[in-house]
Amino acid sequence: MAIDMQDCFSFLAKRRTTELVVTSAGSSSEVWWETTGDLDDTFYLEASMSLSTMFAAGVAKGYPDTRFWAFLGDGAFVMNTGLLFVERAMGLSNMVSIIIANRCYAATEGVDLPIGDQIDFAGIARAAGIANVYSFDSMAALEAGFDEAFFQKGPTTVVLELDKPARHYVSPPFDGPELKYRFGRALEKRFGLSLLP
Amino acid sequence: MDLQNGPPGVAAGKIVDILHGAGADFVASLPDNWIAPLIRRLETDERFTHVAVNREESAVGLCSGAFFTGKTGVALMGASGFLTCIYAITKINYTYQIPMLFVITLRGAPGDGARYHVSNGLYLRSVIDSINMPAVYIEKSEDLPELAKAYKHAGVIGRPYVVCIGRDVLKGVR
Repeated sequence: MAIDMQDCFSFLAKRRTTELVVTSAGSSSEVWWETTGDLDDTFYLEASMSLSTMFAAGVAKGYPDTRFWAFLGDGAFVMNTGLLFVERAMGLSNMVSIIIANRCYAATEGVDLPIGDQIDFAGIARAAGIANVYSFDSMAALEAGFDEAFFQKGPTTVVLELDKPARHYVSPPFDGPELKYRFGRALEKRFGLSLLP
Repeated sequence: MDLQNGPPGVAAGKIVDILHGAGADFVASLPDNWIAPLIRRLETDERFTHVAVNREESAVGLCSGAFFTGKTGVALMGASGFLTCIYAITKINYTYQIPMLFVITLRGAPGDGARYHVSNGLYLRSVIDSINMPAVYIEKSEDLPELAKAYKHAGVIGRPYVVCIGRDVLKGVR
């Protein structure tokens, strides 16, 4: 079973309150942008080849009282599964790493992930010692388990079993410096800080 | 030789103090023999948040995120590890104009007897030049204050900066 990506993201967007979000290349950035239109509180880290959760961890470390959601495609995850050890060692209590498990490289025409249908992403996270690991393959399960999965007080990995995107979604319309300033200024406003020149 | 209390440890202490004096307090690292004493020093120095990473690119991700907490992150690694980061540097730091400081070993230079680092000696500088990355090469300990200048200037220009430190400086013999 798998969840329609747009339905899934619509649900997450409705349940989001004050969380800051970091997305990764391709579908997570595109569908999140199309679903939320978030201009300020999401950093669309497109094309980082597996570094979105590390990037998010660097931000989350500095704001321990704010919760962060960090999306990571399964194609990126298999490039850098060792990131789980860093997440475990950092022990962040305020970040949820969300693996988009659509078993393909959705950003590149949906080419299949090698042996993608046999990979146990949640099992990998558990084996790495991540204390809180959840996997959802239906909307009913996600709705029922959301509160437990997304409000843990320790390193958390959530695997979302999703269908391949049904169509092409548009990329967030920002260039790099604009996004830096939008996200940075939003943080400055939220936390009363001066971060950017 | 006692690496922590001998000359390499003294050199590590100097580097740590210079970084602290410049304002650095967030370091992500992955070892190279030459910087092991420096990493051990950072692990126990309460002035720093130190994160040991699984691969060098992860340090790029972490330090880039840390920028949004008001920090210019420092990534400490060997020359070989740095060369694996070119994609991350250009895709993240260059695209979003996020500063950070790389402190790396000047592997493959004269004095490095490791044959497996010959490629670094041949290509490291030209790779750095090819991505137009500001760089400082430190081969004498009296030049270590250049670290502070590089750290601060990375923040000014909103770009990453790399400081390459030679063997004798890290070993505390020059």
